Amino acid sequence: MKSIIELKEVTKVIKGRKIIDNISFKVNKGEVFGFLGPNGAGKTTTIRMMVGLMGITSGDIEIAGHSIKTRFEDAVRYVGAIVENPEMYKFMSGYDNLIHFARMSKRITKEKINEVVALVGLTDRIHDKVKTYSLGMRQRLGLAQCLLHDPEVLILDEPTNGLDPAGIREIRDYLRLLAREKNMAVIVSSHLLSEMEMMCDRIGIIQNGRLIDVQFVKEFVQTDKQSYEFEVIPSEKAMILFQTSFPDVRLIRSSNGITVEVKKEEIPNIVKILVEADFQIFSIKEVAKTLEDRFLEVTAAKGGTNHD
Amino acid sequence: MKSQLQRGGQTMINLIKNEWMKIFKRPGTYVMIGILLAIVCIFGAIEKYEVKGNNSSPDNRWEQNLKQENNALKQQAKSAQTKTEKDFYKQKIVINEYRLKHNIPPDATTYHIWDFVNDAGGLIQLAGLFTIIISAGIVASEFNWGTIKLLLIRPISRVMILLSKYVTVLLFALLMLSILFVFATVVGAFLFGFPEQTSSYLNYVNGKVTEQNMVLHLMIYYGLNSINMIMLTTMAFMISSVFRNSSLAIGISIFLLLTGAQITTLLAIKFSWAKYLLFANTDLTQYFEGTPVVDGMTLGFSIIMLLLYFLVFQALAFSVFKKRDVAA
Repeated sequence: MKSIIELKEVTKVIKGRKIIDNISFKVNKGEVFGFLGPNGAGKTTTIRMMVGLMGITSGDIEIAGHSIKTRFEDAVRYVGAIVENPEMYKFMSGYDNLIHFARMSKRITKEKINEVVALVGLTDRIHDKVKTYSLGMRQRLGLAQCLLHDPEVLILDEPTNGLDPAGIREIRDYLRLLAREKNMAVIVSSHLLSEMEMMCDRIGIIQNGRLIDVQFVKEFVQTDKQSYEFEVIPSEKAMILFQTSFPDVRLIRSSNGITVEVKKEEIPNIVKILVEADFQIFSIKEVAKTLEDRFLEVTAAKGGTNHD
Repeated sequence: MKSQLQRGGQTMINLIKNEWMKIFKRPGTYVMIGILLAIVCIFGAIEKYEVKGNNSSPDNRWEQNLKQENNALKQQAKSAQTKTEKDFYKQKIVINEYRLKHNIPPDATTYHIWDFVNDAGGLIQLAGLFTIIISAGIVASEFNWGTIKLLLIRPISRVMILLSKYVTVLLFALLMLSILFVFATVVGAFLFGFPEQTSSYLNYVNGKVTEQNMVLHLMIYYGLNSINMIMLTTMAFMISSVFRNSSLAIGISIFLLLTGAQITTLLAIKFSWAKYLLFANTDLTQYFEGTPVVDGMTLGFSIIMLLLYFLVFQALAFSVFKKRDVAA
């Protein structure tokens, strides 16, 4: 796969504070890349730098081989973006808003505008003033605005913010479609992990301005180690036994017993030890790990050690 | 190279169309134009009411009157203390003599259309006020609405975007002035009618009198009186782009629009550095009919000062706008 946007050791310093610290990654055509992190981690700042709204203190961002720093116009022409909320001119109709933005790119025909309007499902309301639109409709108009010039990179900052579940689903399916059918690179940011899990191919985790991990969602969720919850009595003694027998294993005391992170093959061995030590085992359950758990793990481990 | 320029021009025209659309899709703009039209009407009504009694039939004895007036003026000129006063009397005398020589009766006795258009020139302040409001909002509003983020991620440089906004402001100023001029002419023609003979304006420059077409004279008069408004509009534009705050831009600019000239005149009495102030230079008519605020000022000096102020305003606006991190 070919990369379309590349961040090279991007750093942003505002008033002596490092907001973004040496971030590098690539996003390929046809993939949905998630940008994940808690509030204030630097997601929006990074996105603002990608589209040239903010300057880059050091490093560079290249879009289709053009630096956003030195060849802004050449680079940004491949990009369609919504940064934070899709704020439009509320006193104008949706159509006038699209005309406005169409005039700012080259060769966008009336037919193209109508096509995009139909695509986002706003045909019936497009001539109404934007101030009468619901949040979902504004979100869709925002999407229409960034699809006008057939961009190769779509950058959406919190695209599902404020949408109802049906709207979220719609956007999600739509973004996947764009990536698949039009071979666009779609970059979305979010702090909603469940959302990212369903939408993205790859995710980059950002915390305190540092990119701490980039992984495929599938790998990210399904690591070879799984968690199993052992319901054993007496659990305190079992804890001690686990700690002595398996010193490398992560243990969590849960309400029903002990959650252990081990490979599946290890389970018979554990059961054997427990039984031999005369513990009572009531159940062993596989705990499905979500992106959320992984996220907290990763941020706790890497973010924690990096935090100096 | 040429096609590149053409494309740049096309982009510019598109951007100006956009700005124009954003101004005229808002009802506030029509309110402003409505107020301007209404004030011209009211002003016309007041003038009509005031001149009703004064409009007498053309004076047959105007030649004699002028001679008498000139004699009186000569007396006054002799006893005048300052150079300013002497110049003032001298100008009147020269113009009166020109009238006698070329048989042009003074039109002071009848109030007609051109007098009204001339007086309506005072309303340029109002046109200026509205232009300042537009100018102060044209950049700051984009930040307030959050639309600046969508505006600046297009394949168009920030310089072009800001330039298109400034050009739009200038076009709006021209529109307001044209509305004022045309509407004042219409109202003037309707209420006061045309003078019997085509009147020309008598220009007094350096002791010489020249005749000038009246409409052309009034256009120049409007143009010269708009300098103040254009400079303050530019200042409002600068404040708007630098501080992203339209209230601040409107507040400061309108305050100066209304008081700048007076404050400068007061300062000019005491201090000669007052001549470096913006408002000492905005009224270029002082060089054509009247005397400079501070002695020793010349037309060239004022034009240079105006250019300097203009460049400083624009340099500030463009450099800040170009570099700014948009975090709104």
